[in-house]
Amino acid sequence: MVNTEKFIAEAIKKIQTESNGEKVVIALSGGVDSSVCAELASRAIGDRLIPIYVDTGLMRKGETKRISEIFGHLGLKVVDASDEFLDALEGESDPEKKRKIVGERFIRVFEREALATKAKFLLQGTIYPDCIESEGGIKSHHNVGGLPLTMEFTGVIEPLRELYKDEVREVAEALGLPKEIAHRMPFPGPGLSVRVVGKVTREAIEVVREANAIIEDVLVERYRPWQCLGALVGLGTGVKGDNRLHGWIVAVRAVNSRDGMTADPIEVAFKDLQEIESRITSTIPSVARVVYDVTPKPPATIEYE
Amino acid sequence: MLPLFVVNNYGQFNHLILRALRDLDIDAKLIPNTTPVEDVIAGCRGIILGGGPDISRAGMSDQYIHLKKPVLGICLGLHVIAQTFGGTVQSGQKGGYGAVEVTITDHDTILTGYPEKMQVWASHADEVIVLPVGFNRLATSSICGNEAIAHKELPVFGIQWHPEVSHTFEGYRIFENFNHICQDQTEV
Repeated sequence: MVNTEKFIAEAIKKIQTESNGEKVVIALSGGVDSSVCAELASRAIGDRLIPIYVDTGLMRKGETKRISEIFGHLGLKVVDASDEFLDALEGESDPEKKRKIVGERFIRVFEREALATKAKFLLQGTIYPDCIESEGGIKSHHNVGGLPLTMEFTGVIEPLRELYKDEVREVAEALGLPKEIAHRMPFPGPGLSVRVVGKVTREAIEVVREANAIIEDVLVERYRPWQCLGALVGLGTGVKGDNRLHGWIVAVRAVNSRDGMTADPIEVAFKDLQEIESRITSTIPSVARVVYDVTPKPPATIEYE
Repeated sequence: MLPLFVVNNYGQFNHLILRALRDLDIDAKLIPNTTPVEDVIAGCRGIILGGGPDISRAGMSDQYIHLKKPVLGICLGLHVIAQTFGGTVQSGQKGGYGAVEVTITDHDTILTGYPEKMQVWASHADEVIVLPVGFNRLATSSICGNEAIAHKELPVFGIQWHPEVSHTFEGYRIFENFNHICQDQTEV
C-alpha cells in the first residue's frame, strides 16, 4: 500500500523537475487516473498545466457538464467532438474496429488541440499494470510511452507508473478530490460504443446512455459497486400498450472487484432489479426487456465488448 | 538477499503476482520467459512460474525447474512442472472458471495455515490428469483432481488456482509459505 503523503510530495517534485519550466498538456477524461495526474500537476506547476477534455459523444449522461464543473478551476478546455466520433462510428459493429475508430479519432482531436497550446510535455495517467502488461507483451497500452501522436513532445511525464488502481484512489482521497472522482467507476476508452453489442447508431447510443443513467442511479449508492453498467445486447419481442414491439434487450451488470482483474456479480435485491426494469421500460420507448447478468470474471469480462 | 523471479508466461494475472509480493514486502522481479538460465541461477533465490494462455508460449520455463532453486508453478506453471516430470496435462471434463471450492489434503508445505476447505478462483481448461512420479497431491476439487501438487523431495510446487487474485481466499499465504521455503533453502 502506498504512503500517500510521501507519494504526493515526490510526485509534485518530479513533475516540477521533469517539466523544466515548460507547458504541459494532459488529456483529462474525468477518470480517477487522469484526474489525480491533473491535480498533482496543478499543484506542481499551476497554470503551466493545460488540461483538455474531449467530449466524444460516447460519455455517460451529464458527464461532460459535471467534469467541466469539477475541473473548471484548472482552466479545463472542453472540446465538443461528438459529431466527429458518432459519424465515424455510424453502422460499425466490429468491437475491435470500434476501439480503433475511437482511438484514432481521439488522437487526431487531441493532437489538434495540443498543437495549439505549444506544450512541450505530455502528462499521462499510466498505472503499473499498463506498464507491466506492455513489457510482457500481453497487450499494448496506448498510455505507455505516450499516445501515438505524430507531434513531437520533448517528453512524457507519468507520475502514477508505480501505482495500482486502488492505490490511485487512495491518493485521490488524500488530494481531497471529490468522492465521485476518487470512487469513480472505470469507464472504457471507447465509451458507450462498446455497450452497444453490434451496430452503433446515434439512436442506440442515446438508448444505452439513458439506461446507464438509470442503472447507476439505482445501484451506485445502494451497493457501491466496483462497476455497474447496462448494455444493449440485441432485439427481442415485447408488447407495449397492445402493440407488438421488436425492441432492445438491456443487460444490467454490477460487479465487485479490487482491481478489475477478477470480479463477482453483486447479489442485487429483486426489488431493486424490478425498479431498474420498470424505470427503463417505462421511460425508454424502444426497450422491450431488461435482464441481469450473473457471470463472474472469469469466464466473462466486465464489459460486453 | 536475492529477489524472487516471477517468470512471465503472458497470463493476465502475472503482474498481480508481483503486486501480492510487493504487498507482503517480498522483493521480486518479473522476468521474460526467454531469460538465459545463467542469469536465473545468478539472480534469484526462488522462481515462480506464472500462468498463461498456451504451454507452447512458456519459453524456457521448463529449464528453470532444474536449477536447484525452489519453484512454485501457478496454473500453466503447474502444467509445465507436471509435464517436465512426466505427468499428463489435458483438457479437463469441465473447465474451472471463477469460484472453485478446494479441499486441502496436505497442509505440510506450501498450504500451511489454510483451512481444510476454502474458496479460490481459477481460470483454466487444461489440468494435470496424471500426477507425475515422485509427486504428492496437496489439494483437490470437484473440477479437477490435482488442484495442488508437490515433489516428495525437491522444493517444487504447483497450484492450479490463482492465489494472486483478490477473490481467492487468503491467497497471500501461499506466497508467504513459498518465501519461507526459499529462505530455508538459502540457509542450508
